[in-house]
Amino acid sequence: MTHVSIKELTKVYPGSRVPSLDRLSLEIPSGELTALLGPSGCGKTTTMKMIAGLLEPTSGDVTFDGRSVLRDKPEDRGVVMVFQNYLLFPYMSVADNVGFGLKMRKIDPAEIKRRVGEMLDLVKLPDLGDRKPSALSGGQQQRVALARALIVQPNVLLLDEPLSNLDAHLRFEMRDLIRSLQQEMGITTIFVTHDQEEAVVLADRVALILDGQMKQYDRADVFYKRPVDEATARFFGGHNFIPGTSDGETFDCALGRVALPEGAALGRGKLTFRPENVRIGASTNGENTLQATIVDVIYLGTQTRLKLRVGETEVEAVVNPNEIESYRAGDELTIHMPKSTLWVI
Amino acid sequence: MSDRTKIFLLLLPAMFIIVVLFFGGLAIGLMRSFNYMPVIGLTEPDLSAYVSVFTDREFYLSFLLTFHIAFTSTLISSVLAIGAALLLRRSFVGRGIVNFLFQLNLTVPHLVGAIGMLYLFSQSGTFARLANEFGMIEKTSDFPALVFDPYAIGIILQYVWKEIPFIGVIVLANMQSIGEDYESVARSLGASKWQTFRFVLLPLIFPGVLSASVMVFAFTFGAYEIPAILGANFPAALPVLAYRKYTDVDLAARPEAMAMAIVIALLSAVMIYFYVRYSRRRIRG
Repeated sequence: MTHVSIKELTKVYPGSRVPSLDRLSLEIPSGELTALLGPSGCGKTTTMKMIAGLLEPTSGDVTFDGRSVLRDKPEDRGVVMVFQNYLLFPYMSVADNVGFGLKMRKIDPAEIKRRVGEMLDLVKLPDLGDRKPSALSGGQQQRVALARALIVQPNVLLLDEPLSNLDAHLRFEMRDLIRSLQQEMGITTIFVTHDQEEAVVLADRVALILDGQMKQYDRADVFYKRPVDEATARFFGGHNFIPGTSDGETFDCALGRVALPEGAALGRGKLTFRPENVRIGASTNGENTLQATIVDVIYLGTQTRLKLRVGETEVEAVVNPNEIESYRAGDELTIHMPKSTLWVI
Repeated sequence: MSDRTKIFLLLLPAMFIIVVLFFGGLAIGLMRSFNYMPVIGLTEPDLSAYVSVFTDREFYLSFLLTFHIAFTSTLISSVLAIGAALLLRRSFVGRGIVNFLFQLNLTVPHLVGAIGMLYLFSQSGTFARLANEFGMIEKTSDFPALVFDPYAIGIILQYVWKEIPFIGVIVLANMQSIGEDYESVARSLGASKWQTFRFVLLPLIFPGVLSASVMVFAFTFGAYEIPAILGANFPAALPVLAYRKYTDVDLAARPEAMAMAIVIALLSAVMIYFYVRYSRRRIRG
């Protein structure tokens, strides 16, 4: 179990003026599964490589249980990185790939064979040891890569986009496998992804990195309920941002005076609420109930997206298709937003 | 015109050259080596040319020398080329210029290089005279014999000078297309720098190194001009020996020259076969 601490970590690549990563700080409690989330090129993989010792930071520090590891060689850090494209050694059998780390530690071949067998059982590929990686499917290669990493019992496991190359049905299988192995072995695990869904389904906590800077570091649900700013909310699929002024209890804006939950920010800002939290019909106490005109109805199969006009502004809502079957563009509609689902940024 | 006909017509010039010049030459060479030349009345093929090749002591000495030249040149060039490629793939200031200089002698003909070696390393050459000038040797003939020497040092120097960039360019391209991620994986799995090179990078670049070094071995084993210019008189490299027989005033030596040429080709094919088999097992097994 290793507590990983990243302090003001910065990377400026030679020849570039803009840092790829700008003073990132992060505490990853031991045994937790943390996602570094952000769009391509935001510095996620750079961060992982610096934790693994494969890249030197320009400034800042990485500590494991309070001890700086920056001077440690990659092979001495106890950090194993699993790359997005798996990178199984193509000229070795699956068993040799899995046993690679043990062979490098000069473990007895009989012992390697035994542990490789156990590991292949654990990732549910017991009979494929003799095959070459090219004869495996993407999902199987991913498992072999995971087995190759876990066999050396790392203190910290780094996963680069672990689910993104997999089909939808394999994603959940792999998610369960990663989570169960990680919990069982208690390995502090960090993975990077550009896909917020991947981050939410897999991680205990998510660190959102935009433009080389950390925006927010929280449990996944907080990003939906209490985003720190508009960019963060938008990254998680937020659509409604209505400028106005907050007095802490109500928000005065183009929607009128809207009641806020406790703890909302004061002063000028933007009211935000998720499209799926807009309800059709009036609330029981009449709070936050509005009259809207339907601008557009977009049927998406399991849900329907509505573009609504409320006074001078537009609001997006996502509702169950059955609820609005008979409605068309131009129709009038009563909606409400429960107070607890609103937030000021 | 069908696609197949088109492809056939397009390939025809190349096929003509290969079939007529290469296989034609080989067929004539084989016939002569068996003393079979109906045009001049030799209609009874025999093995006398091969018998005299294999009973000649000079042939064995020449074979050993040629093998030594080819093997040593290939080994040294390959090792140094891999080292150079490892350095050149890193990014550093002035890499473009270093890369250019590294590849520069690819354009210099072997013959020109050999004459340069002669000027620089012979006992009357530049280095001998400089050493003498600075009082390091008493007379220029005290300079170590690096050309026309029994160990073929001059020949090997020339081949190494010329073949390092050849193998290096192939290996460098190979390394660049592989990228560094496999090595990163190996390091994070606990491999040291040396283990990463030995167990990951070397097997990955091995196909490139193998094909480049086989080409170098075949070339250095069969080339005539460098050993002719820089080599000792006795023993001479096999191609030099074959050429001497071919241009012998005694026309009867010609079948022997042909037999020797055929033996050179066969030996080089056999050695390459074993080299490929052995090294594949050793590096990737």
